[in-house]
Amino acid sequence: MASKIKKSNRNEGQLNSRIVMWACFVLSLLLIAFAYVDVGTISIGSNNYNLSLIRLNKAIAYTIAILGLQVVIGYTGQIALGQSFFFGTGAYISAWLIADHSWPFLLTLLIVIPACFIIGMVLGLPALRIRGLYLALLTFGLAAVFPSIVKLDKLYSYTGGAGGKLTSNYKFVAPAWLPFDEVAQALQKLPLLGGFFGDGPLSNREESRLWKFILFCVIAGICFWLVYNLIHSRPGRAMRAIRDNETSAAVSGVNLAITKTLSFGVASALGGIGGAIYVAEVGIASPDDFSSLVAIYLIVGLVVGGVGTLPGAVIGGLIYALVPDWASSTQSISFVPQRWLQGPTGSLILGLLLIVLTLFLPGGIVTGWRKLKNRFKITEARAQ
Amino acid sequence: MMLFVGRIWGPDMDLFLQRVIDALTNGSTYALIAVAMVLIFKATTLINFAQGEQAMLGAFAVLQLWNWGLPMWWAVIIGMIFSGILAAVLERTFIRKFDPADHLPLVIITLGLFLVINAIAAITWRFDPQSFPQLFPSGNAFTYNNVRLSWYSIFAFSSCVLVLIVLQTLLTKTKFGLAFRAVSSNLESSRLSGINIGPTLQFGWALAAAAGTLGASIYAANPVLQIEPSMMLRALIFSVTAAALGGLDSLWGALIGGLTIGFVQSVVVQYIPFIPNEMSLSAAVVVLLIVLTLRPSGVLGTRAVERV
Repeated sequence: MASKIKKSNRNEGQLNSRIVMWACFVLSLLLIAFAYVDVGTISIGSNNYNLSLIRLNKAIAYTIAILGLQVVIGYTGQIALGQSFFFGTGAYISAWLIADHSWPFLLTLLIVIPACFIIGMVLGLPALRIRGLYLALLTFGLAAVFPSIVKLDKLYSYTGGAGGKLTSNYKFVAPAWLPFDEVAQALQKLPLLGGFFGDGPLSNREESRLWKFILFCVIAGICFWLVYNLIHSRPGRAMRAIRDNETSAAVSGVNLAITKTLSFGVASALGGIGGAIYVAEVGIASPDDFSSLVAIYLIVGLVVGGVGTLPGAVIGGLIYALVPDWASSTQSISFVPQRWLQGPTGSLILGLLLIVLTLFLPGGIVTGWRKLKNRFKITEARAQ
Repeated sequence: MMLFVGRIWGPDMDLFLQRVIDALTNGSTYALIAVAMVLIFKATTLINFAQGEQAMLGAFAVLQLWNWGLPMWWAVIIGMIFSGILAAVLERTFIRKFDPADHLPLVIITLGLFLVINAIAAITWRFDPQSFPQLFPSGNAFTYNNVRLSWYSIFAFSSCVLVLIVLQTLLTKTKFGLAFRAVSSNLESSRLSGINIGPTLQFGWALAAAAGTLGASIYAANPVLQIEPSMMLRALIFSVTAAALGGLDSLWGALIGGLTIGFVQSVVVQYIPFIPNEMSLSAAVVVLLIVLTLRPSGVLGTRAVERV
C-alpha cells in the first residue's frame, strides 16, 4: 500500500532524471568494457595496477555474493558469516557440470540456484533456534570446514581434490548478432577519446572477454532487480521487521520460521551464483579460493559498502576484488619499508577498513555518501 | 558397536591408549584458549573471534623475547603481560564504545582485529614455520609397550588445571573477582552499586589474553608442532567448540569441552571408518551444531532465561 502511494506521488521530472541516470550508468559500463578489453594496467609511480576485465568480473562475482549477505545480514539481521561455503558450493557444482558433463555456463545456473537455495534453507534451519553470536559462531565454523570437505578422497571424482577442478574446456563465444567489432571501430574513430579504445578489430579473445563481462553484468543486474523487489515486497518487509525487533515482528503476524529460512535460501542462492561466475572467470575451482578468509573478506565488502544498502554490495565487491590485488602489486613506495609491502598488506588494509568504518562510519560508504548528499540538499534549501 | 569394541580390545590396545593420551594433550591446549573465550564471554557476552590471533601474537612475542636471550619462563610471563596490556588497550579503544546487546558491530570489530593481527604477525615474522623453545622437559615420563606418555602431555594438562584453579581463586576470593562476577551477572545493577565497570571488563580482557597466550605458547611448544601466523585458524574452531560445549560462561566447562573435543578429534574420528582423518575439523563443527541446537547453554553453563 505504502509503495503505491509513493509511486503516484513521484513527479515526472524525478522519474525522467532517474531513467537518464541509469542510462548513463549502463553506457559508462559499456565504455569501460570497451576501453579496458585490451589494456589491463595503470601505472602509478613505478607500480603497475591491474584493471582488466578479469578483475572486474571477479568483482561482479563478489558483488553478487555480498548481495546475498545484504539480504541475510543487512535486511534480516541474522549474523551469518559463512557465505564462502555457498560461494564454494555454487562454484563446485558449476565446475562439475561444465567439466564432466560439458554443460554451457548459463545452463549450470539452473542447477546451481535451486541447489544452493535448498542447501541454504536446510543449513538455515538451526538458525531458527540459534541466535545472534551463536549463529555467527556456527556459520563461521561452516566456512572453515568447506575446504576440507572438498578435499575429501570420496569426492575426488567430483571436486578434483586439492588440485581443484578445471573448467577450461568451456569457452565463452560471443553470439554473432552482437556488433562488437562495429562498436569498437566506431569508438576508435571518436575525436580525442579514440586512443583509449585500442586500434583495429577485436581479436576472438577480446570478444569473448567482452561478452563474458556483459553477460555477468546482465546477471548481476537481474539479481539486483529481484532483490530490490524482494526487499520492497511483503516478505522483504517481514525480513526488516525481524531485523528491527523479532518479538514485535512475531506479534504483528510475521511467520519467523518461513521468513528466516527464505532469507537464508535467497542469500545462499546468490552466493552460489557468485561462485558460478567466479569459476567461469577463473577457469578453475580450487579449495583454497573458498577458505574462511574469503568469508571474512566478503563481510569486509558488506561493511565497507554499507550494511543494508543495495549499492553497497557493488562497492564492497570492487573493494574485495581490487584492494588485495593492488596491495600485492605495489612493489615500492618511498618511505615505506619493503617488508610492509611484501607481506599480506591487502589483508591488513581490509582489516583496518573494517575497524575504522565500524568505528567512524557505521553505515559504510553508501550511507556516508547519502548523509553528505542530504547535508548539501539542506544547505541548498536554506540558501534559497 | 561390537566391531568398535573389538577393534579397541584387540592388539590395538596400545594404539587406543596412545590416542587417549593425544586427546588429553590436544584437549588441554584447546581448553586454555577456550578459557580465554569464556572469560570474555562472561564479562561482555561477546565471542571474540580474534582470540586465537591475539594468543598467536602473544606466542610470537614470547618467541621473540626468547630469541633476545631471556630465560624461557621469563619470556612466557613477560609475553603474557604484554598481550594482557595489548588486550586492555584493544578493549578500551574498540570494544567499550559499543552496546554489548548489539552483536553485529562487535562481531565485525573482532573479525577486523583478526585480519589486522594476523597480517601484522605475518609481516613481522613471515609465514615460514619456526621452532618454538621447549617449555617442558623432553622425553617420556612413562613407557608401556608402545604407549608413550611424554612429559609434554603431563605438563600441558597440569598447567591447564593450574590456570583454572588460579582463575577460580581469583574470581571467588578477591575483590576484583567479586566485581567481575557481579558485572557478568548483571551489568546495570552492578553499575548502580558503584562498581567501576570499564576497568573491570578491561581487566577481564587482559586476563583472557594472558591465558590465551599461555595456551598458544604451550600449543606451539608441542614437539611435533611449529609456530606460524596461521597456526590458530584451526585451533580457533576447536576451542570455540570446546567453549560452547562446556557452556560459554563456565570455566571448568571449558576444560570438559576441550577434553571432549580432543577426544573426538584424536579417538572417535580415528575409529569410525567412514570418516576420513582430515575431517576432524568437520566433526568439531558437527558437535558445535548439535550442542547449539539441543542445549545452547552447554554442559555446565547457566541457562539463559528470557522474559516473554
